[in-house]
Amino acid sequence: MDPAIVISQLSKQYKNKRGITDLNIEVARGEVYGFLGPNGAGKTTAMKVMTGLMSPDSGDVYINGYSITERYPLAMAGVGCIIESVAMFPYLTARDNMRMCARFYDGIDDKRIDECLELTGMLRFKNEKIRNYSLGMRQRMGIALAILSRPSVLILDEPLNGLDVEGMVEMRRLIGRLAEEEQTTFFISSHLIHDVELTCTKVGILYEGRLLAEAGMDEVLANYSSLENYYLSEVDDNVKPESGVSQRAV
Amino acid sequence: MSSLKAAYLNELYKISKRKKIVVAAILSVAAIGIAGLIVSSLKNFAGINVVGSSEFAILVLSVLNYTLLPLFTAFICIDMFSSEFVEQTIKMTLTRPVSRFLVYLSKVLAAATFILANLLFVMLLSLILSVMIGGSQLSLSDVIGAYLSSFFPLMVLALMVMFIANLTRGTVSAFMLSVLVYIVFLGLGFFWPNAESFFFTSTLDWYILFTGTFVNVQKIFRLSLILLGYGIALFSAGYALFDRRQI
Repeated sequence: MDPAIVISQLSKQYKNKRGITDLNIEVARGEVYGFLGPNGAGKTTAMKVMTGLMSPDSGDVYINGYSITERYPLAMAGVGCIIESVAMFPYLTARDNMRMCARFYDGIDDKRIDECLELTGMLRFKNEKIRNYSLGMRQRMGIALAILSRPSVLILDEPLNGLDVEGMVEMRRLIGRLAEEEQTTFFISSHLIHDVELTCTKVGILYEGRLLAEAGMDEVLANYSSLENYYLSEVDDNVKPESGVSQRAV
Repeated sequence: MSSLKAAYLNELYKISKRKKIVVAAILSVAAIGIAGLIVSSLKNFAGINVVGSSEFAILVLSVLNYTLLPLFTAFICIDMFSSEFVEQTIKMTLTRPVSRFLVYLSKVLAAATFILANLLFVMLLSLILSVMIGGSQLSLSDVIGAYLSSFFPLMVLALMVMFIANLTRGTVSAFMLSVLVYIVFLGLGFFWPNAESFFFTSTLDWYILFTGTFVNVQKIFRLSLILLGYGIALFSAGYALFDRRQI
């Protein structure tokens, strides 16, 4: 089966020389891919390029076989995403925001909107304006918006940010269920390494804009006591001393 | 085209939910009400007949065309671009299955709809008020023609503000630069009258050409071409900037 996401020789450099360099990743259909890396490693940059918010310097991203640079509407037809922060209009209610998104897809009605709000625990707040929401509520709304169109690919940048413990557990269950029952492909970045360990089936480590290592979660947990140990070990083994302080020392 | 329709309806919905639209309506009503009161008072208490009934609608247009109408148009256009980029809400539209060209086009169409609705609102209001002021020299079709013709220079102004909003980073800088360019264009037209017709701001009063018995077709055609040229150039330049913007 064709991979759901193909990132091919992707590079994007900022003026400060940070960014991503020659990134190559393939994510199989139904896979939950965890994208790990320290702050400033380039995770959000990669995700912005993947969703067309930024144009790459070179390389391309293919989602469901469509190039993001050449056939953007087709590539994004099956994508739901949260990039950097949840984008919603603060002067509108949750339902209004959902309805505006729904207009871009066929067959998304008020019933589906309520279903997504119910799944994320936001149904009872649907008539409140977004400006009155807490960070956690906004994050839940972001997930409701991302899954609204029943996408086959979900690209989520720090989706668990601001969620309480219950919220994190609910989201982990939701991700697991969508991946298993609907073969939804996930590409998730997170600083919460424990959650990545519990949620993802494969991980990639991004460091200073380059992909250091990639492995299936089963393989990681067979060889290391935890994902955290794998992460620190890979960073220590692959990063030159002048690039930063040893992660093991920290 | 369904994605263009979705983006266009969303833009209209966002405009309708903004508080600025209420402020615009209140200010328009207040401005027209004050003008009506002054004209009526002059007629009833001083015996000075400033304008006839239909001419009152044209008087209102002549004032608002240089003041409130461009101001509201600028606010709406800056909201559509600068505010959305600053607040990052633009991501909600750009991450949908719609090309950037259609997103840009939907915003232009929404701005056009706003301008048209604003002009019609002002026209209806001034016509209702002018019922109290007797003596008409202009026909209703002249008034409608004048208001509809005002749409075109205001649309060019909207495209200019959209271009500036994509050129600058913040909302304040976009607004200040738009005001500056508007004033410079008006000033150049005033101090350099020979070249006045090359500045689109000189066409803000071209509605005069559509009223009265003599219609100067040649002049209307020449000014139409200038407006069209401005429109195409500003639309293209604005889109080029919008398409390249990184979020």
